[in-house]
Amino acid sequence: MSSHDSHDTHKAHGHDQQNHGPHHVTSSATFLKILIVLLILTAITVITSRFDFGSANLLIAMLIAAVKATLVISIFMHLRWDTPINKIAFLCSFLFLSLLFLFTLADQATRSMDGANERTRAPVDKEWQHPSTLEKPQ
Amino acid sequence: MSHDHGIVVPAPGAGFLPHTVAHHFDSPTQEFQSAKLGFWLFLATEILLFGGLFAAYFFFHQVYPETFRLGGQQLSWKLGALNTTVLLISSWTMAMGVRSAQTSQKRKLLIYCGLTLLGAAIFMVVKIIEYKAKFDHGFLPVFGGTDYDQATHQLSWFKDYHNVMVGVQNPSLFFSIYFTMTAIHGVHVLVGAGLIIWIMVGAAKGRFHANYFLPVDLVGLYWHLVDLIWIFLFPLLYLVP
Amino acid sequence: MTTNAPAMGVATGSHDTVKKNYLEISKGFWSWAGTLDHKRIGIMYLIGVSLALLAGGVFAMLVRLHLWKSTGVLFDNATYNQIFTLHGVFMVFIFIIPAIPGSLGNMVLPLMLGAKDVALPRLNLLSFYLWLSGTCLALYAIVAGGFDTGWTFYAPYSIYTNQAVVSVGLGIFLLGFSSIFTGLNFIVTTHKLRAPGLTWFRMPLFVWAIYATAILQVLATPVLGITVLLVAFERLYHIGIFDPRLGGDPVLFEHFFWFYSHPAVYIMVLPAFGIISDLISVHSRKPLFGYKLIAFSSIAIAMISFLVWGHHMFTSGQSSYAMFAFSFLTFFVGIPTAIKEFSWVATVWKGSIALNSPMLYTLSFLIIFAIGGLTGVILGALNVDIHLHDTYFVVAHFHYVMMGSIALAFFAGVHHWWPKMFGVMYSEFYAKIACALIFVGFNATFIPQFIMGSRGMPRRYATYVPEFEGFHQASTIGALVIGTGVALMVGNLVLSIFTGKKAMQNEWGGVTLEWLSPTPPPLENFYEQPIVTTEVYDYTTLDLRTTQTPCS
Repeated sequence: MSSHDSHDTHKAHGHDQQNHGPHHVTSSATFLKILIVLLILTAITVITSRFDFGSANLLIAMLIAAVKATLVISIFMHLRWDTPINKIAFLCSFLFLSLLFLFTLADQATRSMDGANERTRAPVDKEWQHPSTLEKPQ
Repeated sequence: MSHDHGIVVPAPGAGFLPHTVAHHFDSPTQEFQSAKLGFWLFLATEILLFGGLFAAYFFFHQVYPETFRLGGQQLSWKLGALNTTVLLISSWTMAMGVRSAQTSQKRKLLIYCGLTLLGAAIFMVVKIIEYKAKFDHGFLPVFGGTDYDQATHQLSWFKDYHNVMVGVQNPSLFFSIYFTMTAIHGVHVLVGAGLIIWIMVGAAKGRFHANYFLPVDLVGLYWHLVDLIWIFLFPLLYLVP
Repeated sequence: MTTNAPAMGVATGSHDTVKKNYLEISKGFWSWAGTLDHKRIGIMYLIGVSLALLAGGVFAMLVRLHLWKSTGVLFDNATYNQIFTLHGVFMVFIFIIPAIPGSLGNMVLPLMLGAKDVALPRLNLLSFYLWLSGTCLALYAIVAGGFDTGWTFYAPYSIYTNQAVVSVGLGIFLLGFSSIFTGLNFIVTTHKLRAPGLTWFRMPLFVWAIYATAILQVLATPVLGITVLLVAFERLYHIGIFDPRLGGDPVLFEHFFWFYSHPAVYIMVLPAFGIISDLISVHSRKPLFGYKLIAFSSIAIAMISFLVWGHHMFTSGQSSYAMFAFSFLTFFVGIPTAIKEFSWVATVWKGSIALNSPMLYTLSFLIIFAIGGLTGVILGALNVDIHLHDTYFVVAHFHYVMMGSIALAFFAGVHHWWPKMFGVMYSEFYAKIACALIFVGFNATFIPQFIMGSRGMPRRYATYVPEFEGFHQASTIGALVIGTGVALMVGNLVLSIFTGKKAMQNEWGGVTLEWLSPTPPPLENFYEQPIVTTEVYDYTTLDLRTTQTPCS
């Protein structure tokens, strides 16, 4: 705080001064409960994987993982008590990630429906040479 | 220079150091919130970085389900579950560490950070044991030559000494994805461990306390992210296929 | 906007040091190389990206000269491939993406917000050095054998080619993180360091545009990072994810690549929109028409850009259904973009137009961008694109956007804020001649390419059928004219630092906050915290004396 110039003393403190309150401190008991729930959910994941639900396997595992992730994000990472902009900033990543998944997987899933796979995938060329075995261009 | 040196946040007691707010901030809150928002955004980029790998996983899982089923069976789900447990517990110790910093408990902060570090070490040791087993099977991309064999149209790194991956398409693909994902995750574990050591050094000096615990908070978030990614990796690689 | 600050340029502190601006306050190499001041980092970026532009420009000239004759003039085919790849990589990754946010964004954004610096100054410096390291790796790759994949690094060729793809790939990884950190910093700065009273709808549109850009930088770039990393692994370990011979899928590479690189188009163009929005208001001395619409359309463009990447892949073998969806969604980009274009034109209408050199660049932008944007809509149509894909029509389209629009907006911005940055004015006469040369040369270069492309001239070919020779020669002459114009512009600007007359405090009569700080700004930008009490672009608050007072 040393060497304050005169202009600093009557400086307007207009920046956002809200949220000056104490940061959220979660109780040890809550953390412990969450840990136990997470471990139980891990056990459930392992147990359900021993049974075959067919195509639902992946979905079930991902749902349990999503629940676990939600607990970690909201409690361990304190996002539940964080500012709205921090929530938006982080959760946006999942939204945009889902776009990557959506279009990429939708492309893959519908490729065979119009025979595009068969049309565009060339047969293996036995004469093909790996370019690394070719001479370097001068 | 005659510009002010920033506001000083006092230490809560003996054994702790005061914190000086960077000169371009008007208040400690502004500094805290700026860094926090920046770090959440960084974590968002991490999610999207790993997201590319997850997209590749789902893509090929859709194309070669049998390869993934058989490949997943070659991994030890027990070791995977052990590592999951270790990481979850270390995530809890980290959360408790942040809590200790928030409540100015220097000794507890050091202990919890040490425990988290121990978790990271156990995780990496188990990982090495797993990698060793894959190496013995001839599944590790880094060893055994990285060329594509012209004559046999075979990959030289993919040996499959025990012939466990017979009868499925492109068996190497599952292990490529497994190693790429776990290796990049492993790098994050190591970076996280380094950051926790840095926190411990600062904590020993008394830099972190109820009035200033920002770095502990951020490293904690990073460590939880490492855990978060593993929560998805474990079922996808070890269980589902 | 008004502030509670006393008359501009009058320091309240009694110390002489307070009066020193950011250029004079300290000297020596390390006072620059280790600086945390956003203005100095901005200047370093400006020098860096300008050198990258010149390098990319030299490569472009080599390509154009080579194509003077249908048989090719200068290089063998392999070298030609390397030269156009270098042109693409330098222009896209090293010049355009960091250009406006890195230089002008760094320089002006904190000033516009009334902040002392960006929120995370050390990260800002790191981001500059990441840019420098990435550039060095790309330069190293040239020495280590070059790379000939095109700037798109399409698998499987990028996996098979016997060239330095790994080092340039890692270079792009670093450049990507440089871009991410810049964007992250600007988001935090915009949220947390706005001056009191500066509400979201009082922010200049340049800030809105940089903010929308930053969202894209943060959310799209990591996917590019993992993609180039996977290509590097592919080359080093043959992991096979993109390698069809190992069961991988090259189309997956294209999905990943364009998930980033389509939003990247808007990472490049949104800051240009921001510059144009601001400049068109200042030089027409009129509040922007449709301020909120332009602000929201920036965000809308950012969002829609994540939904349309597949329109780069219409001939790649992706599913027809995906192509249909991508083509359909592509047309939505046209709506917010047209909103902007119409709003700009409506702003000029009945304004008090000052045909200064920044305004001339801005008006050139309006014309060129209209062509570049509309040809983009043509290319978004699935059936048309099958014919035009990978022809010079595409080349001309994206040069109309990238070079004709973005580079021109960059030039406009540099001319506009040059007196702010250095406190000197360049020769307006030569600046206008340079602008005219660039505008004429640009159109002469790329209009023939539209015609060639629609007739089937494929891009990236080192030789071509003789029928196209006339078009190519016209194009090359045009490129030489652009080169002359850019050389004149750079010479004029650089010379002004040494011989230029002093600029006015507020050279153009702008009313956004950056003109209310002294020119050139002091270390922490403002002697007193500005407080905003009026709406944005309110020219009734302009203190005309400041446009006639030379800066200190």
